[in-house]
Order: sequence, then structure tokens, then C-alpha cells
Amino acid sequence: MTIADVVVALNGKLMAGDGASPRAVGAVVANDLMSDVLLVDADDILLLTSLASDQAIRTAHIVGAMGVVVHNAKPLSETMLKVAGDLHIPLVSSPLSKYDACVRMHDALEAEKRA
Amino acid sequence: MEGYKPVILQGQQTNDDEILEKSPPIDASALGGDSSVIIMELLQRFKVRDVMKRKVLSVPRKASLREAQRIMRESRISGLPISEEGRLYGIVSVNDIILALDGGWIEESCEDHMATNLVVLEAGMPLSFALRYFNNYSYGRFPVLDSNRQLVGVISQRDVMRALLYELSVEIRKLERKTAAITGEGEPAHNVNYFRREYAVVRNDLSSAGHAANEIKKLLKEHKVDRVVARRIAVAAYELEINICIHSHGGILTLVIQDDAVTITAKDRGPGIADIEWACRDGTSTANDWIRSLGFGAGMGLSNSKRVSDEFEIKSEVGKYTRVTCVFRLNKQAEGAAQ
Repeated sequence: MTIADVVVALNGKLMAGDGASPRAVGAVVANDLMSDVLLVDADDILLLTSLASDQAIRTAHIVGAMGVVVHNAKPLSETMLKVAGDLHIPLVSSPLSKYDACVRMHDALEAEKRA
Repeated sequence: MEGYKPVILQGQQTNDDEILEKSPPIDASALGGDSSVIIMELLQRFKVRDVMKRKVLSVPRKASLREAQRIMRESRISGLPISEEGRLYGIVSVNDIILALDGGWIEESCEDHMATNLVVLEAGMPLSFALRYFNNYSYGRFPVLDSNRQLVGVISQRDVMRALLYELSVEIRKLERKTAAITGEGEPAHNVNYFRREYAVVRNDLSSAGHAANEIKKLLKEHKVDRVVARRIAVAAYELEINICIHSHGGILTLVIQDDAVTITAKDRGPGIADIEWACRDGTSTANDWIRSLGFGAGMGLSNSKRVSDEFEIKSEVGKYTRVTCVFRLNKQAEGAAQ
């Protein structure tokens, strides 16, 4: 499941970064506490967060995340978009709540496994 | 040097403190003490005119406080100089505006309500004087006059810090080149036996917090450090950088890459840690709501850094400094597996 698939699954919109990146979701982490995200030992993380700040992007870069989704259609600052572009982190805005986004991602990944 | 005195434009005494930014004063003794010849030299070499902002918004004395309020709101400034033909007569602060709105004299002229007992700097003063004034007066910014007593600029702590950081980065690059020349190091960078880079971390500078850690991760990739190890290093660097930013008065984050190890050192000036054992436990934090709004402050910073490190050392003296050193052993067999 690539970032393009994530955009579709979450009714989202790509705001920054490469929407055609071939990297697949390795794990989904839904968290607003960046210290917790830094603890996760997984590759190709998709970070779902309501933290609409530069720090979400910087944290994603540190852990090698394949993308970041900010839910509830929170407004994203220009600097956040710039940092995402500079660090090559695809950034998606989704109108879904965190819970709904998690459910959608779970269903999509399960469907992918079955396929 | 000692001949410089603050210039006071005499007039009625009013409370001018509210024009100040809320940022704490730069610790001039730490910046200009015995810690660095380079910094001392910079503080003497640079004059206030080299650092100040030259674009100064102002209004004449007869302008209304309402007009001053509009300009301050639109320009997002907390104090507005009152000047005519370059001569500074006073400053209207946010506090003056609030009092005027509350008291019903917002339509009256600035002249009647501005602060006139002002401390100003001269454009030719060395930067060390500006730092001393920031400390002595706890002001966030000063108007700057030239030798003809004309208003020519405004200088803030941010202006000083920005200039110092820029010049320090230039000096550090020079030193790196000298070191490379002495040791025979050169490109490609990942072949060096010793690579060192320092990043200044400024207190409460949220726009830059995490930037050093991101740069460190890029450098680790360039040096072909194993991807998993690089991630552990970057996590420690990030946590320590955030700690310096939000808990200290500023400091330095240092990366050293050697053949068999990578070392991250975070040294700050600031409150220090009274109980290190307590501070290193999961979930212990002195962070406020502002820090938590950034996604940090859950008390995981030091424990996370310790968890990912092969060697971890922390030293601190209350009221002076904290120094954290994280060492990561490199597995040579894993080299080349970089992301």
C-alpha cells in the first residue's frame, strides 16, 4: 500500500512530498506524542497524527517514516509543508478522525493481505 | 570601551517595560566569558550597526494612539517609536495601547502617553555592549541612534543571536577546513577517520527545533552508517536537541563520527538537573503545556536517549549546565547497508 493508496483510502489530499513514491506502508502508528513515535521499532511507518506542526515531520524523518497523515483536516502551516518537501516526507491531509482513519487503514491493509 | 553610557532621552517617567519581548536575556557572561576566544573576538569586532534592523516603523508625536495601535497590529510589533525627521521622542508600547483602550483615550495623541525615559544604544557600540544592556535592563530590544542622535535602527536579542550563529558557523567551517588540512582528511567525507560537526541550539526557537537532528541523520547516511544504528543515533540527537531547546538557555549539539563509534554530545547552559536519576526515569517531566503541544514533554527524552545508546553519561550542575553524552558502537559488517 503506497502513499497514493493511503490518499484514496483516507479520502485525503497530498499536501507535500512525492505522491508517486513506491515505498509501501510497513506499519501504521497513530500517535500525537512524538517521544512515543521515536520509540517505535518498525520500518516504513505511516504516521497518523493530529499534531499539525513541523515536529511531526521532523520526527517522521528521524524514524524513516514513509509518510505522515494529519487527520480532522487540520490546517497545515506553510513551514510544515516546506519541511515535508525538504525532507521528502509525503504529507497527507485527511478529513477523517483518527479513529476512522485507523479503521480504514486496518481494513485496507487486511484487504491487501488477502489479495 | 568603558566610555559608553546608556543615552537617556529625559522626559516624563512612564512604564516602558511592556515594550519588551518576553524572551529571557541572553547570558552575556556565558557567551563572552572565558569559554571561547572566537566568541569574544566576534563580540568586539561586530558593532551594533552590523546587526540591527535598519527598517524602523515610527509615527510622529501628533499621531493618535489608534493609529499606533493599527500599525503595531498590522506589523506585529510590541513597541512603536515616536520620531520626527529621525529624532526619537519616545515609544508607545502595547501596555500604553491597552491602558488607552481601557481608559478611553485611544483617540488622543501619542505625544501625551508615550514613554520618554528611554535607554538606547549607539550604532558604533561593540556588540558586547548590546549584550550587557540586554542583561542589565532585561529589555528585549533597543532603539539605535547614530552619532548625530538620529534614529537609525532597532536591535533585538534575536538579531544578535542570528548574527552570532551565522558568524560562528563561518568560523567553524574555517576550523573544519584547517583540521582536514592538518590530518589529511578530505573528500569523500565518509572515508574520514574523524568527522565532527556542531549545531547551536537556541532556547525556545521552535522554528529550528529538530533541524540539527535531521541534518545529523542525513550526514549519517552520507557516511554510510548502518540504517538501524543511524536511526538510534538520530532519535537520541532529536530528543537531546528538543531538551536543549525547551529546558535550557541554549547549547550545542555535537556529532562525532569515527571508525568504530558515533558520539552525540548535548551541552547546555541553564538550570541543570538536581536529581539526575529521577530525570532519567520514564514519565518524569517538568514540561509545561506549550512543550506538550509540540508532541513532547512526556518525560521520555532522557530515557529514550539512554535506551538507544550503547553508552550513556549525564553530568549536570544546578544553575550552570547539563551535559549528555551518547556513544553508539558501529558494526563494520553492517556498513554499506545504509538506507
